[in-house]
Amino acid sequence: MVASRGFSASRREVLLGAAALGGAAALGGAAILGSPGSALASDVKTLRVATGETDGVKGTLDPAYGNNDNDAARASLVYERLVVPDEAFAPQPQLALSWKPDATGQVWTFALRPDVKFQDGTPFTAKDVVYTFQRLIDPKTASAAAAILGQIDPNGIRAVDDHTVEFTLHAPVVEFPLLIANRFTYIVRAGQTSEELRTAGIGTGPFKVEKFVPGEEPTIFLRNEHYWQPGKPHVDRVELRAIAEPSSRIAALLANQVDIVTELPALGLQRLESSPDVKVQSARTSFWHGLAAFTDTPPFDDVRVRKALKLVVNREQYLKAIVGDRGSVAYDTPVPPWQTYGLPEAPFKPDIAAAKKLLAEAGHPNGIDIDLYTSAADVGLIQIATLFKAQAAVADIRVNIIQAPAADYWSNIWLKKPFVATGWNARSADEALSLEFLSTAAWNETHWHNKEFDELVFEARKTLDESKRTELYRKAQRVIQDDGGALILIYADTVGATRANVHGYKVHPQKITHDFSDVSIQT
Amino acid sequence: MSLLLPPGPISRLIARRLIFAVLSLFVVATIVFWAIEWLPGDAAQRILGRDATPEALEALRVRLHLYDPALTRYLHWLAGLPRGDFGMSLAAERPVLPYVGVFLANTLLLAAAALAVHIPLSIGLGLVSAASKRDGGVDTLVSVTVLLGMSIPEFVVGIGLVAWLSTAWNWFPPLALIDQAQSAGQFALLLTLPVLTLNFVMTAYVVRQTRTSMIETMQSDFVRSATLRGLPRSRVLLRHALPSAIGPAINAIALNAGWLIGGIVVVEAVFNYPGLGRLLVESISNHDVPMVQGAAIALSGAYIAVNLIADIVTILVNPKLRTTLQ
Repeated sequence: MVASRGFSASRREVLLGAAALGGAAALGGAAILGSPGSALASDVKTLRVATGETDGVKGTLDPAYGNNDNDAARASLVYERLVVPDEAFAPQPQLALSWKPDATGQVWTFALRPDVKFQDGTPFTAKDVVYTFQRLIDPKTASAAAAILGQIDPNGIRAVDDHTVEFTLHAPVVEFPLLIANRFTYIVRAGQTSEELRTAGIGTGPFKVEKFVPGEEPTIFLRNEHYWQPGKPHVDRVELRAIAEPSSRIAALLANQVDIVTELPALGLQRLESSPDVKVQSARTSFWHGLAAFTDTPPFDDVRVRKALKLVVNREQYLKAIVGDRGSVAYDTPVPPWQTYGLPEAPFKPDIAAAKKLLAEAGHPNGIDIDLYTSAADVGLIQIATLFKAQAAVADIRVNIIQAPAADYWSNIWLKKPFVATGWNARSADEALSLEFLSTAAWNETHWHNKEFDELVFEARKTLDESKRTELYRKAQRVIQDDGGALILIYADTVGATRANVHGYKVHPQKITHDFSDVSIQT
Repeated sequence: MSLLLPPGPISRLIARRLIFAVLSLFVVATIVFWAIEWLPGDAAQRILGRDATPEALEALRVRLHLYDPALTRYLHWLAGLPRGDFGMSLAAERPVLPYVGVFLANTLLLAAAALAVHIPLSIGLGLVSAASKRDGGVDTLVSVTVLLGMSIPEFVVGIGLVAWLSTAWNWFPPLALIDQAQSAGQFALLLTLPVLTLNFVMTAYVVRQTRTSMIETMQSDFVRSATLRGLPRSRVLLRHALPSAIGPAINAIALNAGWLIGGIVVVEAVFNYPGLGRLLVESISNHDVPMVQGAAIALSGAYIAVNLIADIVTILVNPKLRTTLQ
């Protein structure tokens, strides 16, 4: 007994030691991680923003490569554009004060805002605009922006003087100011390389990046002392992070872990709406949900089959099931009726008998069997496929749903399989029509090549007369409705929420657009 | 605290294990590399996602050397290892090592916090249920609670705790969001729910082991004689019975520590906690081979290290094992 007492002591010491070690490690770690906090003065106003879509280590502050919500929020804190779209997608001045086309609509001159400084104090001039756009178009940059800005002649971007820029286009584009108000066209300081822009980009926006390591959260931004709008911004610091799971995002807002959340699902917001500490907001957008079929692949190569599919769907049901009525029904055009050039006419009704008749005429008296690909890659894709299967069955259209892995969907299924669930971000009319439906479209998800449509769009782009141009864009949309391979079913609102004491933030119809310059927190 | 380590057996064990660890990590990294190579798609597609134009894909593949044969890339990665170079992440286009360091530190911190609670809590509960009236109220309550914890998966426990303690009562924050503006106190609050979740799942086994072996020990001769000598019950329990009964409990804790490295991955996902598990899942979906290799090596390394420590502790507290080693 006596001999073994030494052991029992050491045994206990081992135990106590292990426990103490664990505890010390935890506390030490907490102290290390927590210690920078004490360096923050208590009167520093911090705004905490949480977006959806995790970008993780892919994240970037380079506007040329941004491709998700978190990138978009990051860019809108640090940079600004020449032109921004407003609630109705009409162009409004930001870094440009005014603009005018020449008589042909092929040469555009922008007058730049004077007395604007970059975050490092250098003045903003025409050379920064030239640098920004040349970089976006340069094939070496390999930015997705090149597909949207294809109309600009790379040698036709010219600094007339310090505060005047001139763009020469390959062909007239009447809507050019809107064309350069997309997610890529944030003005960067001339000479910054892609490597520098990725984590330490310098812009003219209300906040400058303080610390950004892709994949580490949150990204920290500080007030830009040189900001050109007097008195703004109203907070000293911004912390931006992504919280991918919508329910977690909602919980974090309710628990006051964040001040602003974006990209909320349209369904399941009861708790937020009933909480007095939270303000929910939404904005209608041209973000659409639907299905896309290859128009060169049987059975979709027969226009009668495509028409039958469009007649079968009951759009109201999608509106309820997918966005809980936060949105409006769509009739196979990417331009909603309230947006410039939207179609005014009354919608058509589902007609099962007519759909069956069309299928029989197309040589399918017993209906058709089709595979439909979907995935959990984005909100609503699975619900759309499921609902379509149920609705189509009534007209003897037998749908076999194939669910692909989320990480794989946009890269290996979409654009590669003949019939898929899809959706498109909010864009202006011309941008939506060209990117998705022109024969030369970079993302021609319906393999649709329609000469009549192409000509109508090109004609509209160079028609200076507003009412004539509107008629041409509307005609083009009717061609899509009649002949296209896309079932565009609903337009979804974008939903965001803030704590009740946050003022000056508005969700924007162009979902990627945020304006944090006027946001304040009441204490 | 002076620990008198018997030098021979323990150091032999450590040496053997280290050689084995290096070999296992090498095998893990190799399997991971070829497994991801074998997946459809490539990193360029995953990184660019929907916006990928053919030109952009081409440029990125050239920049990331994706056109090199897989074997070349694998050998290139191997060649860097002796220099401590674990390659460049494809998605971040930055060295892998600092990432793995940051995320590993977060994971180990959470694991350490969980263990710091786990050891006293589970042994304490085991003692309470062993010391209380057999199959009485306290004993049954402890048994039922720990068995519940054992049978419910950790993500359900985590979500349940959030619903109850943060959404309904608002006592703790629902997500473990780490940032720079936190005091140590706030940070401890953040860790509370993840630590509780992990403990709820881990405790059962240790409590059962402690209880069983305590009850056995309590019936042995030397404990009985201590009781007969009129020593107070608490002293009999803690000074006489516990040291002999603790072996199986330590074994159970050691097994748990191994499980913890895996279980923590799920808990990180529930609480949005930036640990290795999240890095690993995200990097797999990015086809980011070097990052997955780095994260897998770190996770496996942590697993091996935890098991080694557990074995050493087990040997130290178990005289029988110590003699067989000699």
